[in-house]
Amino acid sequence: MGLGSLTSRAMIRRASTILNTTRSHNFSLVRSIVSTPELKNTASAAAEATPDPPLPPPRPPVNNARVHFPNPEDAIEVFVDGYSVKVPKGFTVLQACEVAGVDIPRFCYHSRLSIAGNCRMCLVEVEKSPKPVASCAMPALPGMKIKTDTPIAKKAREGVMEFLLMNHPLDCPICDQGGECDLQDQSMAFGSDRGRFTEMKRSVVDKNLGPLVKTVMTRCIQCTRCVRFASEVAGVEDLGILGRGSGEEIGTYVEQLMTSELSGNVIDICPVGALTSKPFAFKARNWELKGTESIDVTDAVGSNIRIDSRGPEVMRITPRLNEDVNEEWISDKTRFCYDGLKRQRLNDPMIRGSDGRFKAVSWRDALDVIAEVMHKVKPEEIVGVAGKLSDAESMMALKDFLNKMGSNNIWCEGNGGQPQADLRSGYLLNTGIADLETADVFLLIGTQPRVEAAMVNARIRKAVRSNHAKVGYIGPATDLNYDYEHLGTGPQTLQEIAEGTHSFFSAIKNAKNPAIVVGAGLFEREDKDAILSIVETIAKSANVIRPDWNGLNVLLLNAAQAASLDLGLVPESDKSIESAKFLYLMGADDVNMDKVPSDAFVVYQGHHGDQGVYRANVILPASAFSEKEGTYANTEGRAQQTVPAVPTVGDARDDWKIIRALSETAGVNLPYDSLIDVRERIRTVAPNLLSMDEREPATFSTLIKPEIKKEINPVPFKPSIENFYMTDSITRASKIMAQCSSQLLKK
Amino acid sequence: MAAVWRAKVPPNSANLEEARKRVFDFFKLACRSLPKVMDIYNLDDVATISQLRSTIASQLRKNAHIKDPKVIDMLIFKGMEELENIVEHSKQRHHMIGQYVVGHHGLVQEMGTKEQGLSPFLKNFYKSNYL
Repeated sequence: MGLGSLTSRAMIRRASTILNTTRSHNFSLVRSIVSTPELKNTASAAAEATPDPPLPPPRPPVNNARVHFPNPEDAIEVFVDGYSVKVPKGFTVLQACEVAGVDIPRFCYHSRLSIAGNCRMCLVEVEKSPKPVASCAMPALPGMKIKTDTPIAKKAREGVMEFLLMNHPLDCPICDQGGECDLQDQSMAFGSDRGRFTEMKRSVVDKNLGPLVKTVMTRCIQCTRCVRFASEVAGVEDLGILGRGSGEEIGTYVEQLMTSELSGNVIDICPVGALTSKPFAFKARNWELKGTESIDVTDAVGSNIRIDSRGPEVMRITPRLNEDVNEEWISDKTRFCYDGLKRQRLNDPMIRGSDGRFKAVSWRDALDVIAEVMHKVKPEEIVGVAGKLSDAESMMALKDFLNKMGSNNIWCEGNGGQPQADLRSGYLLNTGIADLETADVFLLIGTQPRVEAAMVNARIRKAVRSNHAKVGYIGPATDLNYDYEHLGTGPQTLQEIAEGTHSFFSAIKNAKNPAIVVGAGLFEREDKDAILSIVETIAKSANVIRPDWNGLNVLLLNAAQAASLDLGLVPESDKSIESAKFLYLMGADDVNMDKVPSDAFVVYQGHHGDQGVYRANVILPASAFSEKEGTYANTEGRAQQTVPAVPTVGDARDDWKIIRALSETAGVNLPYDSLIDVRERIRTVAPNLLSMDEREPATFSTLIKPEIKKEINPVPFKPSIENFYMTDSITRASKIMAQCSSQLLKK
Repeated sequence: MAAVWRAKVPPNSANLEEARKRVFDFFKLACRSLPKVMDIYNLDDVATISQLRSTIASQLRKNAHIKDPKVIDMLIFKGMEELENIVEHSKQRHHMIGQYVVGHHGLVQEMGTKEQGLSPFLKNFYKSNYL
């Protein structure tokens, strides 16, 4: 910045202010609302110009973000507030400012959505440009001199703020966004201390978007983030803009609900209180809440979440940024299942009396009864089933305990009769969730990712949008939120592809990064080995598995599945449940109870009075995922941990502790007394479960497996999840999820 | 607070002997006030005088290892304060029962025989999830 240009600007400013002062004698009643005094005060502006103030040291990028240069020669140099920064070509002015460590205020701009440029809050001054420019929409050009805190930029923000607040209601005290509202924060930082608007504020009719999203449309500032989110990320064209000018409104064009499984994310991206959480409405203020960084267990994705609690109660669940797993979105099931944690909870150990009613007993009595029964049955008649939500520690303890009792019939539900646990690549999403974005052809076999793993589906949709990836789907008719080719409904289509007679085979073969995704729902089929071997044939002949790209994936359904197979929870025989005399259900609710013999003794250990309890003889209350520390491996093999956010309910205990205590009562002491000891034991079985937050890819590919020749059953694939909103004991106990299933699944 | 204002802090004990004597005086004083305590808090149906006396004795014995006369003086002062509060009926019946009759072990008293042979893990497991 040359001294000459500054002084000349000061001269011009002085001249114009002289003009203003002569005029303002007549209008002395007009209030000046500009809070940037240097604009009015010529003396101070001139004084500022003469001594060049020393520049503060350069700042690190916002959020310590790192800039990735795809092409080093494409770097351009721009100057932000006098500092030079190098950014890749194609960056916007706003992004360049972020790299320089200057956070530009914004409402409509969101890094994961397309650019709208309609809020005008991000105006900055660019040298040689006649007007302030909207930095979110302006590409950075070489040598551009950007000034972010000049009087012109400040005045521009102040003006925008005044216009936005003109029609924004003054209901912050009763607004759920209060305290975490972008408009509130930015009006404090950049707004004026008074407005000039004296007419009536406009009001807008609220829209009904369903049981999850509450709307107060008068608060809306028309940033259109929700509209862009719905059409770009969620893939539903439900939201849109109606009207123009001051009559502009966000809404569904016709009276309808928002039926996306990602609809809850519009609550997070709304910068004001127009879209808020309906179940959370008026429940708590955000500054009263304690945030605990945990992970989600309602599906196999392991989305990173923050559990906000107040005292012993979980008040809400919000997403946490993890670029490799869920970016910054979570599904509605993850976000709104938390009210299930307060209902139907088991809080005391109970024994079923001779009259068929449960009676609360002490832990000592309950464990004594179980130990006594266990010693009366034959070892091979003892069967253990781990549930969908079990953590790795408790599954390890269960397996060790039953092995010590002489039984080897332990499995995790959802893995089918004879799961293949020998090769990790046989049950993992080998490509990785984040890398699915780079695939250009998808073949979905018996899986509906939209209901099985909504975050994986969002990645596939991203690939379809950005790479124009082609999606082929084999399975029952379904609604995926991107274009797909419905190839068939059963294994026969698969066979045609394997033989190369199907047209889709050439699509896979010619693809750069083909991805085959097999649904874990197939694990329940009798002919799953035959189907998997056909899939491997396709993978082999279409060159899906290469040293740099492993495109053969299995999409798991439950949070416990990957860890259970890592730990080797494989039953000795798949008919063990029919001959069981003692059945230990560790949170397993989806076991077919009709197959259990009537004289079998059933122990249910879990946190909810769900389906498993109806047949149980003894109930042992355990803690839910929000109350315990537990390791879970997600569908791509990434080990992550839950963190206790709230205390346990009633007399409940952690899962692994219950089994450890029972082992002592039964006289076969397990050699661990603390979580650290259990993890040391896990280290000897599956050390990958201990490298936290890191994805441990499978070492060997499935192709080294010997080929199996078995007959396939031509029965078409079945949908593996009937109701997206209710899949496990927590979500089945949730009132919000029940409302969603009755209102949103209506076809 | 009134008790605190009224209390005259006696001069420090010169040596351990004097402090020791003060402890015995305090114990005797406490024992002498026990009948009144039984009366005003209506404790006859939950405790006997001898039980309370042994409770006091055990609380004193808990500090048996302290040899610094200054610390002993301070503890006696605190004990005296507590005693005054009790005798003045500044407490309520459930305070007395909770602190001196039931004690810190809680209402459920495990029979010694059952606990024997259990690992510390199992003992803690029966008590709470957070031990």
